Amino acid sequence: MAVVTAAARVLGSSRGLGQDGLLLLRRLGVRGLAISHPQRQQQRFSSLDDKPQFPGASAEFIDKLEFIQPNVISGIPIYRVMDRQGQIINPSEDPNLPQEKVLKFYKSMTLLNTMDRILYESQRQGRISFYMTNYGEEGTHVGSAAALDNTDLVFGQYREAGVLMYRDYPLELFMAQCYGNVSDLGKGRQMPVHYGCKERHFVTISSPLATQIPQGEDAHPGPAVGAAYAAKRANANRVVICYFGEGAASEGDAHAGFNFAATLECPIIFFCRNNGYAISTPTSEQYRGDGIAARGPGYGIMSIRVDGNDVFAVYNATKEARRRAVAENQPFLIEAMTYRIGHHSTSDDSSAYRSVDEVNYWDKQDHPISRLRHYLQSRGWWDDEQEKDWRKQSRKKVMEAFEQAERKPKPNFSLLFSDVYQEMPAQLRKQQESLARHLQTYGEHYPLDHFEK
Amino acid sequence: MGPPLQPNQCGSRLGAPPSLPAECGGVACKPGLRVGMAVAAAIACRLLRLRAAGAGGHWRRLRGAGLPRGFLQPASAGEDAAQWRRVAHFTFQPDPEPLEYGQTQKMNLFQAVTSALDNSLAKDPTAVIFGEDVAFGGVFRCTVGLRDKYGKDRVFNTPLCEQGIVGFGIGIAVTGATAIAEIQFADYIFPAFDQIVNEAAKYRYRSGDLFNCGSLTIRAPWGCVGHGAVYHSQSPEAFFAHCPGIKVVVPRSPFQAKGLLLSCIEDKNPCIFFEPKILYRAAVEQVPVEPYNIPLSQAEVIQEGSDVTLVAWGTQVHVIREVASMAQEKLGVSCEVIDLRTIIPWDVDTVCKSVIKTGRLLVSHEAPLTGGFASEISSTVQEECFLNLEAPISRVCGYDTPFPHVFEPFYIPDKWKCYDALRKMINY
Repeated sequence: MAVVTAAARVLGSSRGLGQDGLLLLRRLGVRGLAISHPQRQQQRFSSLDDKPQFPGASAEFIDKLEFIQPNVISGIPIYRVMDRQGQIINPSEDPNLPQEKVLKFYKSMTLLNTMDRILYESQRQGRISFYMTNYGEEGTHVGSAAALDNTDLVFGQYREAGVLMYRDYPLELFMAQCYGNVSDLGKGRQMPVHYGCKERHFVTISSPLATQIPQGEDAHPGPAVGAAYAAKRANANRVVICYFGEGAASEGDAHAGFNFAATLECPIIFFCRNNGYAISTPTSEQYRGDGIAARGPGYGIMSIRVDGNDVFAVYNATKEARRRAVAENQPFLIEAMTYRIGHHSTSDDSSAYRSVDEVNYWDKQDHPISRLRHYLQSRGWWDDEQEKDWRKQSRKKVMEAFEQAERKPKPNFSLLFSDVYQEMPAQLRKQQESLARHLQTYGEHYPLDHFEK
Repeated sequence: MGPPLQPNQCGSRLGAPPSLPAECGGVACKPGLRVGMAVAAAIACRLLRLRAAGAGGHWRRLRGAGLPRGFLQPASAGEDAAQWRRVAHFTFQPDPEPLEYGQTQKMNLFQAVTSALDNSLAKDPTAVIFGEDVAFGGVFRCTVGLRDKYGKDRVFNTPLCEQGIVGFGIGIAVTGATAIAEIQFADYIFPAFDQIVNEAAKYRYRSGDLFNCGSLTIRAPWGCVGHGAVYHSQSPEAFFAHCPGIKVVVPRSPFQAKGLLLSCIEDKNPCIFFEPKILYRAAVEQVPVEPYNIPLSQAEVIQEGSDVTLVAWGTQVHVIREVASMAQEKLGVSCEVIDLRTIIPWDVDTVCKSVIKTGRLLVSHEAPLTGGFASEISSTVQEECFLNLEAPISRVCGYDTPFPHVFEPFYIPDKWKCYDALRKMINY
């Protein structure tokens, strides 16, 4: 907490340079900054003043040598609304959402969970090449997605399928992308789980995740910040949300994104899913500070830490962050604490680096779906009978979509060549023609039967 | 990345005491260091001063010209205290005044860039310009006046972070707005390499054309400048040539720069526009005031010939132009001179058509030989024109070293090296 309070004192409500700093620059003839802040009063700049005059910080002098101790023993507190049994702790924090909405939360999370199970299995059976599950993190997706407007632009990392699920992305399209079949809007270009949907304002997932060499550099907050800046200029009343894990937060791009969002005053929500692991790397090897939330104030960013397994806490925090980000044109950082119950991906066996007991604890004692179910049941909005029915129904829906997706062919091989540029360059067309000719002679050695003619 | 060189100050970042003649390119050096360092700086200023257009491409001897008394003598004191003054290795040749685009104005290259940016911001209300130090006008003055004219939300500084600049630019472009990012020196583009190659270039392809960042243009000063050394002289076009999905463009002159830059900005694909910094002030010609476009992926035959094809881009075009004159004069050889203009996607047809006619090809660039873009041209031409070739294709490039400081005159592929290579091809 010492870090936070010290930072708050230092930064106060001002972002960027203090008034004295700007006047100093004006004196030295640095035109750009002086012009940008014409509203600053002319204060007398005097070297007789004992106050600090440095342009770089707005602070008092101190004559005692004291290092700020990073406080990681009792870090930034974790905001929650429900306890682990789904009971509201402080009634004034209950968002009091209508039954229909909370049921949508529940169904989105469970449908996602069902789809995850089936698609994970399908990879194990060799039917799709790769998959990543969202087990344990469904609350972070759905709570945040529900707090946004449908037109808010989403930049995800790769473990946010629940956001799309909440926005009613059809199962058919999830499957199409995983199979890379003719219905895939991405035209079969990327590995499974790299969803994208223009209508639902979900920017296509990017991450060079190869099965053997997973990279942490999956999140690119820079583009999200740029999109937020453009939204601000367009007076769009839109926020941009950028999801990333605690591992991706170590990337230089994360630092760049935070700093740009703050200095350029962008309406963006940085949503960090701190799930304890970046593949096999635990948080103790990822950072030494107080997680990701503690970094926010260092950039001048409003920050909060929430219980990511509490869908109402996630909802409340995101809702308020959204409101203020748009109203005040400033970034917000939400660190949602959660736990990655599943393996990193189908290429990972996490028993190699963590105990089964640890995983079971989270699965059984602190799961976003169970907590919400307890809440629903205690409100009388759900019961075991409905649970049984819904499980059967959701499984059936997923299986149908799955079987259909599997039957469809892949796109025509010539789609290998399009969309590199808006128009196809002459040289690339030649290459496309040369492949077509090659296949005329050697086609039997290629899986042409699985591809649309 | 260190603080940038101010090209309108002397090549050294050290200052000189006010008592010395302030003679660094005509602009006063900053005051105030100890005399010893200041002396060295003054000598450095003279040694490294870049001369404007019109000077010949050769060394000139100055015998101790203008050194005040009381200076520390160099180690070779007692010998001839001769000083070598650098002058440019090329002569900028302006093109004839273009008549088809309306009224023209005399502009140097940075002014032509400013004009293009001005036109863009006027036409396109979504267009924004950003990067390090662009607000006050930019370290090369390319954005002077634009912030006052268009507002601080459209022309603004970013923190010092190239990966952030490009990433941010991609995001703006994804929403459909026009993003014009400035990287302060092409030498500093590498932190943004991932964003350019893995994100910008692949945005459209990987999303199946659901999303793209086509309205992104990245501008960066490029190429040797006489004193830029390792980190202010690089020509990194070859790194990006290997990346499908982006376009890379290099102009040779103010008129070309404005038209090509406008085309890049309007092109629906992310573009990198490298501006030869040595030409910012040295190249002056008549440039239309109104906007106009020069097409991308089209090379220009700027001089027709029958015996050898010479290909280059940027500053080097002026070197090979001079080589063409030398060849005509001394060898009676007629050269066809081609400015490639767009590095990728490049105009294979124009180059091949020329080589089919002449039978000989020489490609020249400042960037190092191995893996330089001349290798791509050479490889393609020998595939397409093998039977037409009278001699092996010649590449005259920088050596496979980082760009040196004092050794620059030896490093660059100057007209003598090009002339010699041409002579060998003719006699093959």
